[in-house]
Amino acid sequence: MSRPWPLLAGSLALCIGLPLALAGAPFAAYIVTGAFLQLLFAAGMNLLSGYTGITPLSFAGITGISAYLCVGLVMRAGWSFWAAWPVATLVAAFVGVLLGLPALRLRGFYFVLSSLVVQTVLTLAFTAFASLTNGDTGISQIPPPSSPFVAGGTLGGTGLDLLIALVGWAGVVISWRLAGSGFGRRLVAVREDPELAETLGVDVVFCKLAAFFISSLYAAAGGPLMAVFVGFISPRSFDLLASLNIWLMVAFGGQGSIAGPLIGTLILAPLPSFLLGYYQVKDIIYGLLIITVTVAMPGGIHGWISNRMRPRLP
Amino acid sequence: MTALLEARGLSRRYGGVHALRDLTVTQHRGEALGMIGPNGSGKSSFVNAVTGNIRLDTGSVIFDGTVISGRPPHVAMRAGLTRGYQAVRVFATRPVADNLILAGLPHHSDADRLLHDADVADILAWLDLAPLLERLAGALTLFEQRRLELAMRLLAKPKLIMLDEPVGGLSPVEVRAMMVLLRELRARCDIFIIEHTMHVIRALADRVIVMVGGEKIADAPPEEVLRDRRVIEQYLGVSDA
Amino acid sequence: MDSETILVGVSILTTGLLLGAIFSLAASGVTIVYGSIWLPNASNGQFFLIAPLIAWLLVTSFGLSTPAAAGLALILAVPFSYFLEATLIRRFYDVPNRNIAYFMVTLGLTQVFAGLLNITFGQWSDQFSLPPVLGGISWIGPFPMQNNRLLVLCLAITLLVALFSLMRYHRFGRALRAVFQNREAAALRGVDVRAVYRTSFLLGTLMIFAAGLLYGMALSFDLTLAWNMAVTVFAIMIVGGPGSVLGAVVVGMMFGFTQAVVSAFATPTIASFAYLGAMLGVLLLKPDGLFTR
Repeated sequence: MSRPWPLLAGSLALCIGLPLALAGAPFAAYIVTGAFLQLLFAAGMNLLSGYTGITPLSFAGITGISAYLCVGLVMRAGWSFWAAWPVATLVAAFVGVLLGLPALRLRGFYFVLSSLVVQTVLTLAFTAFASLTNGDTGISQIPPPSSPFVAGGTLGGTGLDLLIALVGWAGVVISWRLAGSGFGRRLVAVREDPELAETLGVDVVFCKLAAFFISSLYAAAGGPLMAVFVGFISPRSFDLLASLNIWLMVAFGGQGSIAGPLIGTLILAPLPSFLLGYYQVKDIIYGLLIITVTVAMPGGIHGWISNRMRPRLP
Repeated sequence: MTALLEARGLSRRYGGVHALRDLTVTQHRGEALGMIGPNGSGKSSFVNAVTGNIRLDTGSVIFDGTVISGRPPHVAMRAGLTRGYQAVRVFATRPVADNLILAGLPHHSDADRLLHDADVADILAWLDLAPLLERLAGALTLFEQRRLELAMRLLAKPKLIMLDEPVGGLSPVEVRAMMVLLRELRARCDIFIIEHTMHVIRALADRVIVMVGGEKIADAPPEEVLRDRRVIEQYLGVSDA
Repeated sequence: MDSETILVGVSILTTGLLLGAIFSLAASGVTIVYGSIWLPNASNGQFFLIAPLIAWLLVTSFGLSTPAAAGLALILAVPFSYFLEATLIRRFYDVPNRNIAYFMVTLGLTQVFAGLLNITFGQWSDQFSLPPVLGGISWIGPFPMQNNRLLVLCLAITLLVALFSLMRYHRFGRALRAVFQNREAAALRGVDVRAVYRTSFLLGTLMIFAAGLLYGMALSFDLTLAWNMAVTVFAIMIVGGPGSVLGAVVVGMMFGFTQAVVSAFATPTIASFAYLGAMLGVLLLKPDGLFTR
């Protein structure tokens, strides 16, 4: 895009304005902030799944590692959230790179399967190491971050909503800049044909690992935010279903584009809030959508629309 | 003449079969080198081994002063060595313009201006690709795809391009057109050509290596190779009727 | 050795045999479908669970006997399999990298089934069990074994033998193996590849249903069984080698005994860690599995 500034400024204004406007409507604010968090996750998933062609079903596991680590540092070691958040994010992102190593050896389905194994192991570990994670019961009453402006105050409610909205916005903007950069195009070359990409001079190993690192940064940065936003984490928050749901938001909107995950997240993220108490119904709807997207619309909504709009070539 | 490519003692075994057996090949600057041999004689394995697409059991490859053996293919590429594939290899699901942009990435910082670059425009005009920019690469004819493949490789301004049967599968008219292009290609970079048949090699190569069973059985200018009794017995007498 | 140790040992042995045979059966079903269609059925655990749940429903609501209910549930596998084949599976037969698409589709199916079972069976009961077909205990030498479990074990082994015979001696088995090795060549030799695909999906579904029913006849179960089985069966298929029935049976038996031993002394979570570790190791070191030629 040649003139991105109006769009950037407009979207930033929206991200600041929306939480402020909804300050008096907690339920609506909860839905909107939840959607911003999902936007962050979807943008990170899209870098790997959409641009690099590697589907990491261990995505939510990374979020979990970061969330548990940050909560542990805050609640047990007495760290400030503002110190624990970046530390937990970096540690979990490096774990994400380690978990991405199989992608250098395994292609296609076999990597997806190995990432499913990794995700299952992580979920089991969150449950099994109950002394650290409180097992299936989860950790509740997670304190909000301390306020960066008022000594002794806390950042809750609208302040936290604003923080998450800004992080979500930054995540999408950064993924958009990355996708348009030479690095993003190299990822596309790796996705389309890794061997040909190598022949054309692309360092495939570096590109894959870098993509894993950046994508894991997204997954990891969101974990602590999710913990303080919801105030509760349990192994179920970071299980295979969570990974699949993020993948669905990306695939439903359209993989490998910036607009796709935006569309997918804006449609799907608010859904569970309206089905409160019937969360299994959400599972059924999401499951049916996963099937529908895979069977009928591999390009997602975005792909479907741009196919319609593109003039037919002879 | 100085050596551009020096491959020494290359060996590669698959189970009990030698794909390459102690193969030494030198290509000089300004020289067009050919390689012929029957199916399975190790021609493609040689290219794969030189570019780093397959691992070597033993042997070393030095290209333009850089050791590239044991390194991934992008290292060879960055040293100025590129290749084509026997089964033509382009990003089939993307338009031709995208293919060129993806291929030009490592060498042009501004991908969006790439197609307007004078050098690039010159290559596109030479290979007559400009009218095809919007078409999907997978929907092109084989000849068009081979030209696209050539253009993608040339964006890197390579010193040597290794081509694996570049006229394979083309119609007789296209073969003649391709051979004209390959002769003109020599003005842009040195070439190494694998071929199945002798007449293409004779027209294009200054020197030819004859392969049988992963080994080199002759290494001389085409006219001399044609007189070599061993070559005639081993290869030409059998398959090049 | 005191008698208690012997009893624990015998119980481990019989449970191991039983679980091993059931695992083998389910994993054979999954591996046959992967070998032929390239369909890694992530929802195999749901299939495995649905079969005994249907039998349970028939027993508790309609007063059927366990054998009748199990037979009826097994027959239901036929329309179930044909429906899925016609709606979701057939359309991918000619897609090159269809195993990823299949994997995502069956993960979606898993989510749908899990949700459906939660809002139905999950509301009705926490634990499910079928009335035993046989009562009493038999002594095999000095070892006691429940007649009911003995029956289930015999049925499981009979089914495995039948499967081996089918694969080796029947025309369909030979066609299936030809498709495993090279579908183009099989098609050229006059094998109707699509018919083989359809039948192998039916056969695989039948075997998973049968394994689930046998499990339900011998042991009590709950809704978490589905995902545990899915992971276990996938691990067996990968370690044994996708498409290898022999691998599925050998590794299935090994995993069954592992599960029996671990459950006797520690939490089953450790067994799950072990399976997943084995699967990851094989994926990285020998992705074709241990039993592929």
